[in-house]
This record gives sequence, C-alpha cells and structure tokens, in this order.
Amino acid sequence: MIDSFILMVMCLFALLAIQTRLLRNAIIHLAVVSLLAAFLYMRMAAPELAIAEAVIGSGLVTLLYLAALKRNRVYTIAIVGNGETSRLADRYMHHIERTNALHEIRQFFLVREYEVQVVFIPETLEQALRNEAYDLVIQEDDSGIVAYTDDESYVMMELEMLIQMRGAQSDLRFARYQQTGATLQLIDPSAG
Amino acid sequence: MIQDEQHPTESLILQLAIGLLFPFMLLFGFYIIANGHYTPGGGFQGGGILASLFIARYVIFPVEDIDSEKLHSLQRIFLAFILLVPLFFLFSGIITQFPLLRKPYLTIMDILIGIQVGFGLGVAVLRFAFFQGSGQTWHL
Repeated sequence: MIDSFILMVMCLFALLAIQTRLLRNAIIHLAVVSLLAAFLYMRMAAPELAIAEAVIGSGLVTLLYLAALKRNRVYTIAIVGNGETSRLADRYMHHIERTNALHEIRQFFLVREYEVQVVFIPETLEQALRNEAYDLVIQEDDSGIVAYTDDESYVMMELEMLIQMRGAQSDLRFARYQQTGATLQLIDPSAG
Repeated sequence: MIQDEQHPTESLILQLAIGLLFPFMLLFGFYIIANGHYTPGGGFQGGGILASLFIARYVIFPVEDIDSEKLHSLQRIFLAFILLVPLFFLFSGIITQFPLLRKPYLTIMDILIGIQVGFGLGVAVLRFAFFQGSGQTWHL
C-alpha cells in the first residue's frame, strides 16, 4: 500500500521534472525522486542500496547538477521602488509582477533557457545601476515601466530589440546607461 | 562571511547551513566507513559522502585553491594500497592463521576504499567545476 503510493509520488515528481521549464526546479524534483527511491529500497530490506542511492542520487548528483547550473549564467532583474511606494514593498512587487511587461521579459529568458531571478531591492536607482550584480533594473514612473540596461550587454540589447519589434502592446520603455569609471551616464533616456 | 573582490559572495543562508552541516557530514562519512563491516554502508557509500564535502565547499566558496593534481595522485596511491593490502593479507594466509585479524582487515579495506572513492569522486567533480570552459569561476 505504502509502496505503491511512494511509486506513484515518484512518477509524479519525475513528470514534474520534465515538465518544468526552470532547470533548478527540475534538479530538485530529481533529487526528490532519488530520495523516495532510497526510502523504497529501505522498505524492501536493502539498506546498503538505500544509503548508496541517497548519497549518490540525491546528494552527489544533485550537487553536481547545481554546480553545472552555476556555469549557466543566472540573470538578475532588480525592481526599484519609487519613493512613496517603497514602504509597501510586497504590494508594489505584486503589482509589478502582474504587469504585462515583466511577463514578456520572463518569456524572453524562458525561451532562451536562461535562468532568471527577480528581486525587489530597497536601494535607489543610481545605487542599483552601479551594482554590477543586477543585469536589468526596472522602475515604474508615471508613464509606465522603464527598464535600464547596460550599454554593453548583448542579451539585453536583444531583449530591447525584440520587445520594440512587438510594437506598443506593452508599456515598457528602455533606457541604456554607460558606466565609465565612476561616472554613470544615461544614453538617450527617451528611447522606445 | 568572506567578502572581497576575488571571492564572489554566495547567499548567507547557504553559507550558514552548509557551514553548520559540514562537520556532521564529515563525521557521518567516517562513521559509515568505520562501521561498514557490520552495519549497512561501507567504503563506497562513506566515500560518496566525503566527496559531497568537496562539492559542498565548492557551492559555498567557488574558489580554485584545491590542487586537484595532488588529490589525483593521492587517490592513485590509495588505489595501489587497495590492491596491495588484500595481496598481503589473503595470499600470505595470515587471515586463516589468525581469525582475529578479519575485523581489522575489513576495517582497513573500508577506510582505504572510502578515502579512494572520496578523493576520486571529489577530483572528478572539481575538474568538472574548474577546468572545463574558460577556467573562469562563475557565481550565482
């Protein structure tokens, strides 16, 4: 009874691992499959195999996949609050998350199989632009959402071109900046 | 928390959690190796746990300061011992003359296999992490 239940859950997680589009989720699902297999070996009175499965399958292989995923670059999208909304961080972030623009950006990264993470940061716009950990900085102003991209990033240029080709169905505008030494310079802020 | 230009920072949660678990993983690996002859486990399983220590260290601290060539040659030395110890114990007939030596023999073999597997898998993973591609270290 318990065995067949575990087998069904294993099948479920195996299907989830191939259905998800985020590689990190797939890795964790595979680790869960491996862990359940170890438990099943335990119930079938094969503790030696269970230990090997737990160590190799859900320990070593998971860590190896995670290390491999590290080589695949993760893009960080930073959302900067504007003045008065920074206290309502959660609600503001949900508001941004629901916008069409962010959905399109996510789709852009998903289609190319890049890992992407969205963070809400309490820093000001200039601090965020100076921080090299953020690849794309998003701020909402009165006329819509502005995405600030580094002038030297080819991926972000591709994103900009793609969204501009789609036309005006999203209220997303792009602004490029260039950082030379300590000076931060916006290039053509009304682009788009 | 290490934080400067050369050492890219990982998340504090990862650093703390793995740092806390690290000695217990080490202890558990050696426990499984040392008790391999009368409880489940043994050299290979314990060695796998020891190898996961290398990767755990790489996950929280992706710096290329482990000399994998040295590890590789150490692993070869242990492999030679794995071949030599049974030759000495089994073919000379010591085991049949002194049955008390059986347990020490199994423990010695488990320890040798465990360390060899640990170094071997660790070297494989570190090579994979460091030496493929441009040799640059990536961070999350």
